[in-house]
Amino acid sequence: MPADDTKPAGAAAGLPDRRAHIADLVAAARGGDDGALGQIVTELSPMLWHVARAVGLDVEDAEDVLQTVWTRLVAHLDGIHDSTALIGWLVVTTRREAWRVHAVARKQLPTDQEWLSELPDHAPGSEELIMMDDERRALWEAIGKLSRRCQELLRIVAFVPRPDYQALAAQLGMPTGSIGPTRGRCLAKLRTLLASRP
Amino acid sequence: MKSPDAASQEPMDDFDLEILDGIRDLFEHADPMPPDLPERIRFSLAMRGLEAEVARLTAADEDNLVAARGAEHSRTITFDSESLTIMIRIDSNDDGTVRIDGWLAPPQRREIEMQTATDPCRVSSDDQGRFAFISVPRGTARLVVTAADRANGGAGRPVVTPPLIL
Repeated sequence: MPADDTKPAGAAAGLPDRRAHIADLVAAARGGDDGALGQIVTELSPMLWHVARAVGLDVEDAEDVLQTVWTRLVAHLDGIHDSTALIGWLVVTTRREAWRVHAVARKQLPTDQEWLSELPDHAPGSEELIMMDDERRALWEAIGKLSRRCQELLRIVAFVPRPDYQALAAQLGMPTGSIGPTRGRCLAKLRTLLASRP
Repeated sequence: MKSPDAASQEPMDDFDLEILDGIRDLFEHADPMPPDLPERIRFSLAMRGLEAEVARLTAADEDNLVAARGAEHSRTITFDSESLTIMIRIDSNDDGTVRIDGWLAPPQRREIEMQTATDPCRVSSDDQGRFAFISVPRGTARLVVTAADRANGGAGRPVVTPPLIL
């Protein structure tokens, strides 16, 4: 643990190291180290996958969006110096690009999709739903009752590393209070839904 | 119970974080990223700026003759690019690695790099276009064929193959 680390141990343990690790990789990638760039791609692509899919893209479009975003990052590396800036740039750029592609593809899509039908490839079918424990199933069903926008936002927020969330919240349209991120309308609604289940 | 409006102004608490963990867990299971996507992105990033021809896989055969001789497993794979055909035969070594014998057509001296998850290995082809990697770890790999060094009259555009599973 670095000496200047003031974060408490516990849930956040390991995170400062990970952030330092990412910052090192960014510096190396800026210097032209393709291996470092590749490691960043491997570590952060899963997060971007969920950002792109949250917008409602199909598998192929989501893959294309990730390709585009990573290619663009290479040209922007000079302005990015730490983990938070990197994650912020990646998430915001992925979301913007996903929405652009979504708008193009939208013509063929019904305007108001069913929650489950938005995940045609991997959505839990009735059998998987039975396999889920009660808590998971309740959460899944409650998410399904949220607005499209809340579903998207919460899925993205769930995948952004916690220490970077504060910096990203405003850009994602989540309000932040004076001492940190507030719960926001979507999480508040989800809590109400979870509390009111029979 | 508080109104949702008032509750939305509150700072996040442990239950909120628990819910977010739950959402993350659900989507990781329900809609995982295709596992080979980062590898494909890394591949296309590595190709940027490199004026490389990307070879296409044109033929892949299990070698039945070799299979009939014993438990050994052998595959031949052919890649075609505009300027070059690359044929490789992959044989299993006893130690779990694989041996790769390759031929370039038209025959020529080139530098050939086998990029794997670990360190890349480099060899040169001879006048007949032959090359061999005696021991390559199993996993994903790809070949990058570059010009032979100038002392050997090196010329030719780089050619890369798509990733292949050894």
